[in-house]
Amino acid sequence: MMSDDGRAVPDERRLRQLRSEVDRLARRIQRLAPDYQPPAFSPRRLIKLVEQGLDGLPPELQLDSVDRLRQAIDQGWLQPETWKGMWYMLNYTLQYNAGLVKRRLTGEYEADPWGLDWEFLDLVRPFLTFLYKGYWRVEAAGVDRIPVEGPVLLAANHSGQVPWDAIMLTTATLTEHPAQRLARVLYPAWVPKLPFLSVWLARMGQALATVENGTRLLEQGDLVATFPEGDDGLTKTFRNRYRLARFDPGFVQMALSQQAPIVPVSIVGAEETYITLGHAPVLSRISDLPHVPVTLTFPWLGLLGLVPLPTKWFIDFGEPIVTDGFGPDASSNLVLVAQLADRVRNSLQSLMDDRLVRRRSVFLG
Amino acid sequence: MAEERTVLVTGVASLWGTRVAAQLLDRAGLHVIGLDVEAPREEIQGLDYIQADIRNPLLADLFEADRVDTVCHLAFAETARPGPAACDLNVKGTVHLLEACAEAGVRKVVLKSSMAVYGAHADNPALLTEDHSLRGSRRYGYARDLVDVEKFCAGFRHRVPSLSLTILRFSSILGPGADTPMTRFLSASWTPSLVGFDPMMQVIHEDDVVRALVHAIDHDAPGVFNVAAEGVMPLNRLRALAGKPRLAVAHPLAYWTTRMLGASGLGLRRYVPVELDYIRYPWVGDLRRMREELGFQPLLGAEETVRDFAARHRGSPYPSEPSWLSRDEERLRGIIDVRRHGRSQQGTPGSTQEEGG
Repeated sequence: MMSDDGRAVPDERRLRQLRSEVDRLARRIQRLAPDYQPPAFSPRRLIKLVEQGLDGLPPELQLDSVDRLRQAIDQGWLQPETWKGMWYMLNYTLQYNAGLVKRRLTGEYEADPWGLDWEFLDLVRPFLTFLYKGYWRVEAAGVDRIPVEGPVLLAANHSGQVPWDAIMLTTATLTEHPAQRLARVLYPAWVPKLPFLSVWLARMGQALATVENGTRLLEQGDLVATFPEGDDGLTKTFRNRYRLARFDPGFVQMALSQQAPIVPVSIVGAEETYITLGHAPVLSRISDLPHVPVTLTFPWLGLLGLVPLPTKWFIDFGEPIVTDGFGPDASSNLVLVAQLADRVRNSLQSLMDDRLVRRRSVFLG
Repeated sequence: MAEERTVLVTGVASLWGTRVAAQLLDRAGLHVIGLDVEAPREEIQGLDYIQADIRNPLLADLFEADRVDTVCHLAFAETARPGPAACDLNVKGTVHLLEACAEAGVRKVVLKSSMAVYGAHADNPALLTEDHSLRGSRRYGYARDLVDVEKFCAGFRHRVPSLSLTILRFSSILGPGADTPMTRFLSASWTPSLVGFDPMMQVIHEDDVVRALVHAIDHDAPGVFNVAAEGVMPLNRLRALAGKPRLAVAHPLAYWTTRMLGASGLGLRRYVPVELDYIRYPWVGDLRRMREELGFQPLLGAEETVRDFAARHRGSPYPSEPSWLSRDEERLRGIIDVRRHGRSQQGTPGSTQEEGG
């Protein structure tokens, strides 16, 4: 909001812009805390508020900010109206944040029996959106092939050592699907053993991959995402990228018992985020992890080596494969289950190959 | 039923026995027998108390003589460490009791168990059905004994199909009078928490436990049922609702400490419900059968249960002692009153105030 050297008198247009910006922010925060009335405006209180805000900054930055403020007041280009707007905005933000923290500390929040917490999801969503739109520039096609409601099972290819593909798949359905459906991804049994990851994934609505869990989620009418390759897919080396590993047929049993359509999902781009050369079985034995990859950068660069490459991603949703009309005991018919698993696998492989043929560059798409 | 139905409650001197017997005595057409090795602390009006151990060889004869229709088995020693004495009462006692019931032609048995029998494991599904395998902790005595009892019951059910056996698996019990791993956990001034772990938890109020047991005695529903209050919540939310600060410990350190302290006999049992795994992994039961087959609905939801517990807990001016001590105090007060009364009758009536030196 300062002009180049902080000295020139701002023009009317700029001032108006600033004022409307502050007003818009104030309105937004007002919506979050509708019954809160900020105390009356007084310059002294405002300075106090500014002081509070500055408290967390290092001294040089504080001095700099105060200096700039001083200049602004001297030149009189901040009108009383704008000051008032800022006053309301600051008050509302403080109040809202204090309220949120207090509610979390006294347990006034909700989580469903699976541990899904929408407030947590809202909290991490900006980061997910950054990864989705900014980092991997994901292009999702055919997301409207997922029905607007009712149980649906997604079967996607797995890769990348760190399951970023699962998180991007959730983000894709949440942002691009007309009904903004939350995909409940099923994670393998080593996840609950890890601190933080277990809690974060559960708060994002994910669940442990057991036939029981999947069936129950579908029964609730949820959108369930599975990676039928399991850990075999996740740990794929770079040489085997985009070659589907063996499918665990459990996902077909879930779909059959609830007669949910299976939508194959190809995720292209994720398999190049790490260039995996091999595995370190000794390291995985001493940690709780099922596998520790050796990539071009990991473990040579430490945790920094886990920063994924900014490849261009394509998520393609295929034609749904219907599973109704096989009768009630179909899920225990192992021949049928294996056949359907093969069908899903073939259509997923061809979906992926289609995209790979059309793709020109790993990083640019 | 025209004739009077006889219900026998074992472990009648325990909290659960006393409360179940009192509830049963409130209704007409029931003859309630209480069985225990010691008499209930307060006399229960109308209770037919018999002093006997459940391992008594003449148990079957007693059942036959009284024509016992229903047995509610509540005589369990809820000890933390697996030990021969507790195991003898819990496992051998139950086995002996069930065999006696079969021999005497008892129609129905109701048993109080715990969801701790499932065990807390990383690969537990989000909701455990009653058919899930029993992988309870082998280091926590009570859970270990219950797993053994339940495994015996599964075979017993097939062997004696005429006997209707109802097992109620309760989640963590909370309440002002109860002394359970969960009440001890939430009564301490701090509660340990494993950094980065926050499993989902279920609770049930002690009044609802009694209500469920009485419901199972009233209605015929053979089978195993998970019983818990509606609502599953993360452990940290439960803690926040109870107003307890948490002490975050990295899990490798916590496991190491409990192993060391456990070996030295000091034990962190007071602070940890059952075992560290039980605050690391979920062990949440599916309540569908409770609602549909047992037809039981707890009165209090999970949130209300925790709030109720916290409200009564905060009412006491001091950090609460383990409740066995307050019970002990009450018992001793009763004894002192009786003795004072006795002495004042013998001696001069006015000398009661000077006593106590």
